[in-house]
Amino acid sequence: MSKVMSKIKINDTVRINLFKYGFSLIVTLLLGAVLIIAQGENPATAAAVIFDGAFGSLTKFGNTLRWMAPNLMLGIAAAVAFKAGVSNLGIEGQVAWGGFVAAVLGYSVQLPPLLHVLLCVVAAGISGLLYVLLPAIMRLFFNINEFITTLMLNFIAAILTEYLVDLILSGTVQYSTATSTPNVLDSAIIPIIIPGTSVSASLLIALAVALLLFFVYKYTIVGYELKQVGENLRFAKTGGVKVVKSFLMIFLISGFIAGACGGIEVLGTYRKFNTGFAANMGWDGILVARIAESNPIAVIFVAFVWGALQAGSLQMERVTELNRFTVLCIKMIFVLMVSINYEWLFNTIRYAWIKRRNRKEAMAGGLGNS
Amino acid sequence: MSDEYILQMKHIRKTFARLVANDDINLDVRKGTVHALIGENGAGKSTLMRILTHIYKPDSGEIWLNGQKTNFKTPLEAARAGIGMVHQEFMLYNNLTVYDNIILGFEEKHGGIFIDKKACRAKIEGICEKYQFNIPLDEKIKELPVAMLQQVEIVKALYRGAEILILDEPTSVLTPSGIRGLFKAIRFLVDSGKTIIFISHKLGEVFEIADTITVLKDGKVVATVRPDEIDERGLASLMVGREVILQAEKKDHPFGPPVLKVENLSVRDKEGILRVKNVSFEVRAGEIVGVAGVAGSGQQQLVEALFGLRAPEPGSQILFEGNPINRATPAQRRCMGIGYVPQDRLGAGVNGNASIWENSIMGYHIAHGFSSKWLLNHREIEAFTDRIVDQFMVKRQKNSDKVRTLSGGNIQKLVVGREFLQENKLLIIEDPTRGIDVGAIEFIWSKIIELAASGVGILIVSHELNEVLQLSDRVLVIYNGEISDGGRYREYTEEQIGLLMLGGKLSDVQGDVQNQNQ
Repeated sequence: MSKVMSKIKINDTVRINLFKYGFSLIVTLLLGAVLIIAQGENPATAAAVIFDGAFGSLTKFGNTLRWMAPNLMLGIAAAVAFKAGVSNLGIEGQVAWGGFVAAVLGYSVQLPPLLHVLLCVVAAGISGLLYVLLPAIMRLFFNINEFITTLMLNFIAAILTEYLVDLILSGTVQYSTATSTPNVLDSAIIPIIIPGTSVSASLLIALAVALLLFFVYKYTIVGYELKQVGENLRFAKTGGVKVVKSFLMIFLISGFIAGACGGIEVLGTYRKFNTGFAANMGWDGILVARIAESNPIAVIFVAFVWGALQAGSLQMERVTELNRFTVLCIKMIFVLMVSINYEWLFNTIRYAWIKRRNRKEAMAGGLGNS
Repeated sequence: MSDEYILQMKHIRKTFARLVANDDINLDVRKGTVHALIGENGAGKSTLMRILTHIYKPDSGEIWLNGQKTNFKTPLEAARAGIGMVHQEFMLYNNLTVYDNIILGFEEKHGGIFIDKKACRAKIEGICEKYQFNIPLDEKIKELPVAMLQQVEIVKALYRGAEILILDEPTSVLTPSGIRGLFKAIRFLVDSGKTIIFISHKLGEVFEIADTITVLKDGKVVATVRPDEIDERGLASLMVGREVILQAEKKDHPFGPPVLKVENLSVRDKEGILRVKNVSFEVRAGEIVGVAGVAGSGQQQLVEALFGLRAPEPGSQILFEGNPINRATPAQRRCMGIGYVPQDRLGAGVNGNASIWENSIMGYHIAHGFSSKWLLNHREIEAFTDRIVDQFMVKRQKNSDKVRTLSGGNIQKLVVGREFLQENKLLIIEDPTRGIDVGAIEFIWSKIIELAASGVGILIVSHELNEVLQLSDRVLVIYNGEISDGGRYREYTEEQIGLLMLGGKLSDVQGDVQNQNQ
């Protein structure tokens, strides 16, 4: 009996997922249209501009891909954590440290090109990893929820990196803007892969990370254990999985990817560390992971769409009277819509409907009897 | 009076997609009787009861209450009309008091707004007095033992005005004394005119308490009989359609050296309370040692310490094949050849959201591994999963099905199969047959006996006394963290062991020992 029932349920899940994304999209578009009309613009024009900004030319498409890279990489960093039940909300902070470390090593160390990039990115990853070690230890040995600690450490990272840039680096540089480090050396720059655009090899790194994670979860014993730890801790523990080690690993992998992402952003796009360059980048990653429900392959697609919206919104701001926060607002509406528990909603509605039908039947029956 | 049908379910049919869960079921329940509903897992009992309580709507069929056709639309209306259900898993809020749990949703009110606490309390106290329930109204649910919670559920149903009380496998969570208490309460309720529908797997209980027995099989009623018209074997064969011998068939075989030796083991629970007190025993190769005891006597902490999930107190000694393993992790113990079937099937035994193969290799991947240290070898995984599925007759469609789609019995077979097929030297098994149907119980019992005969040492910790007595070469009784000797196979009677479980002394028991030395 339960077999057949579950079959229905699986079909239901697929249906509900289709509905979820479809419905969310429609509602978001409608609300977005209202938002745009309220600002005195034509939604169709705005949409066209956004589309043009994202796909209109090679350069514009390049912008989409350029934004896709950090979305993807940070989406993966978040997905790794969420999948295992770890709330790493500190991605923003880990990105900041990664960016800072990569920038410093990028201008202060002299190495052959490829090696230099490698050093910077790995060091950036390690700095992210070290920064997540603190909340990890607090969680594992003192049972302090990482939800709070990682969140708070974001602010510390933002302010501390700014302090370091200001205090330590400002005297020694040829640039007088105290809020950024000097440019990294040419040997540390991640090259552009599509000429005439801002798409650097960062995108390839991000894709490689996503595919690697997909591979790890699908084909390796470590991935198998991490999945089980995330889905049923006691089951994994009884099975002999070293749970503490797994958790620590998840924290560290997530932190490493986030830190490395900070590094490749600095080396591939900004070429120096601006304070606050990570602003919202980490949160975008978290939202991407949420929408993709922590599925590595889905993260790739969501990161792409997210990147297109980012590129499109910048274009929209240039061309129309609309503010790019309109797009931000629309994106958030979409996240909100996707977060709704449709299954629950469905059941409630279905139940109310059955109730009404029964009442009608009862009334009809009553009439028939009289 | 007793000839009057309080409830009639007529030609009930309910289908889920292609599956017919209830097929033309007729159920006539007389007022003031205990009507037992028995059947294997998946026979359609739960569906029928969900239709009765209006959680499901039947495809066709009618429900008549007190000679009148009903037309309820919601579970609430059914509850108001006097159909109350005590679910197998209690529906209580842990952080609320007993009182709050009982009145929740059915409060007496002043002017429709304020809760009339006095009136509520008076009503509850009236019920408790009338039906002789003694429950602490102001204690929080989480402070109370399981047997008490069941009473709370029953009082809750009565408070809501239940005339027909459905008890879904009420004894599965109770100790022998709890069961006696429950049966007393049931008789009292019936004497005061209430009607009980009693759902159970356990034939002995059904014979003890029921006035009428309806047997369901594959969604159909196969028989409705009075207990004096049939015996346990007959009933069992009606349920599963063949002769089931609920008597384990044990053969004598010699035991080897001890595989597990426990000396002066003491264990504290996570609150720091000493739950296992200076316990010593051993399990020899090929021997089945059963630990009987009332739930909460320290079994959980004992098993956790034995499997490395909880650190024992200093001075304790756990030896596996003569080597101390106090500090070994579960992974190390698995590698040594210790298997474990946990009590909490869905919580610790499987990951319901994962596939059958993912569940099959948990532990195996550590103790035995695959040809590659890092990669999952799907050919080997499929092979091992198929072995479990074939040898333990797990009914499934494919190995990638999610485990939660299986029935309880099949999940248990999967867990047991996983642990049994790993060539372990010692198996720690908690409640191997909890909440599964007769056919599956018989099957798992026979596998346990088979495994012991092949030289594996087995420690069974079960809340089912009969199970311990049927399977064990040696019985240990745990009471309040201390272990006493419960004799060899069939040395003591069920009553004598029962006395030990409740804290009686061996000297009290030994007076009338019937030594059936084999």
